[in-house]
Amino acid sequence: MSKWNELQDKSFLESTARQRALGLVDEGSFTEFIAPVDRISSPHLPVLGEAIEFDDGIVTGVGLIGKKPVFVVSQEGKFIGGSIGEVSGAKMVNTIKLAVELYDKMKAQNPDLPEEKRPAVVISYETGGVRLHEANAGLLAHAEVMDQFQNARGKVPIISVIGSKVGCFGGMGFVAAATDVIVMSEFGRLGLTGPEVIEQEMGKDEFNADDKSLVFRTTGGKHKYIMQDCNFLVADKIGSFRKQISDICSMTMDEIVKFRRIGSEELVKEQVELVALAAELNPSDSRDVWKHFGNENPEALTDMPLEDFLKTAKRYPKKGL
Amino acid sequence: MDTFVGQGRAAIDFIIDEGSFKENQIDSFVIEDETFGPGAVIGTASVNNETATIIANDAMVFNEKFPVVFAGVIGMEEGYKMALAVYNTIKADADKPLDKKRPIILVVDTPGNGPGKVEEIFGMNKSTGAYQLALAEARKTGHPIVAMVVGRAISGAFLCHGLQADHILSLTKDFNVMIHVMPLTSIARITKQNIERLEELSTSNPVFAAGAEFFYKLGGVQELVSDDAKMRETVQAHIAQIRELKQAGRNEELGPWGRGLVGAEREGRIVRMEVIKKMQQEFDAVADKLISA
Repeated sequence: MSKWNELQDKSFLESTARQRALGLVDEGSFTEFIAPVDRISSPHLPVLGEAIEFDDGIVTGVGLIGKKPVFVVSQEGKFIGGSIGEVSGAKMVNTIKLAVELYDKMKAQNPDLPEEKRPAVVISYETGGVRLHEANAGLLAHAEVMDQFQNARGKVPIISVIGSKVGCFGGMGFVAAATDVIVMSEFGRLGLTGPEVIEQEMGKDEFNADDKSLVFRTTGGKHKYIMQDCNFLVADKIGSFRKQISDICSMTMDEIVKFRRIGSEELVKEQVELVALAAELNPSDSRDVWKHFGNENPEALTDMPLEDFLKTAKRYPKKGL
Repeated sequence: MDTFVGQGRAAIDFIIDEGSFKENQIDSFVIEDETFGPGAVIGTASVNNETATIIANDAMVFNEKFPVVFAGVIGMEEGYKMALAVYNTIKADADKPLDKKRPIILVVDTPGNGPGKVEEIFGMNKSTGAYQLALAEARKTGHPIVAMVVGRAISGAFLCHGLQADHILSLTKDFNVMIHVMPLTSIARITKQNIERLEELSTSNPVFAAGAEFFYKLGGVQELVSDDAKMRETVQAHIAQIRELKQAGRNEELGPWGRGLVGAEREGRIVRMEVIKKMQQEFDAVADKLISA
């Protein structure tokens, strides 16, 4: 069996950023940009006596899914929590920019560019957001990502995948929310404020960050799937994520934008209604919300195997676009 | 004033034409429910006799529905309220030419986004993300957006309310302005570095230090304003500058990307540009292969 085939069967949760990047696109198709061999690492970490990585904790590049160029950004949680600094931020921002540039170029050459050739971006998150050692540069990079997303609107679909250990928090939490489609495994976690910070703000009685089950109920893939904040929930295999991405890539741009939750006045109005529901329910636990959406036995959903969960779970009835 | 921290409403008066602020109203869009997102102040004012949208923070109120929202925190309602203000600004001027798109002025004094359990269950990340996308869209549609930092511009809240502007201006530290991700004391604790050493390092490398002056060096702040009486004319001057650049099609010099260029010019962010250039070369080498795949 080839290395790529082995990757398909590998746990997404246990995979490194590079394994995910290689495995999410077609076999042998991945070209890395600013690879470790380029030796561009953070100039700020050595000053503080910190170790560097030659990829600065992020793998960026382009591969193919069928005929479609798929730009990949993949974050490595093992290096300073997958945090965004000046170099890793620039790699992420510019990868999205190049995808849009390629689309514009292809469209100029061929105004009837077939959907199967339309470039896409896949971002595999494993991060808490800004890297504190170079916090200001990391912060500014987040704004640049959002700026590039807006340039990509209607041109290049941005697909978020979340299923790695660190989850997707801090500034990257709203970055993911701002993309077209979100794919998670039940081990993926998505949010803005990490569990420890909520505990610090609200007290341990209100939110115990050591209670793993509570943390997953609040930010995990199953919860986000019920809330429609994650569009697809898949098994914890690189191959399962890849299959889902490939399915999304076979859709038209018009079909893909329907997965969005924010990005237009209509969508914001729907979110305002959802916030009104939050005020009305004032849930002490996600399970109160699951119940509200018609899940009679919310406790049973937590440990339910994925296939049964997908058949059983009742989701927020999203109106969408 | 000595400081505008907690005084977002007072700061608005230093920027707009006297007595011109109409709150909760943008063209035909009106917010009638005063309990909706009270931490966010939105409305229309004239600035140098021109109609402008104003978006600010109110640190004096408390959102009874979402108790984490006080002291200028942007909660779920606040973020969506700000986003609606922006979308309705775009709509109001949809038929107007580039030079007539009304400016959007962000008066910034916010310590954070709502950090609560309900916020995570329902997705605070969507609210701040929605507002940022709305601002990015307005900027690209041609509205000049100026952020005036008058108090606190902290981390994610600054990303939410400020960092999508065309130009960011800030009062100087004499006004107790705070721009940072975390105070240096917290960074010292988390990175296990000695605070004195960090302070010394920050004078030569602005990349982690707290303060408007450091953000200036990084391109994150376009201009520092040292006199509160000059905020009005400085904001107006930047609106004019931004408009000129937009009409000349020089959008790349504005907004987050433009701040990257300024950061390189001011030698605060050098490596970013190296990465971008190198990546462009690597991409160019494979672009044709991708097109003909």
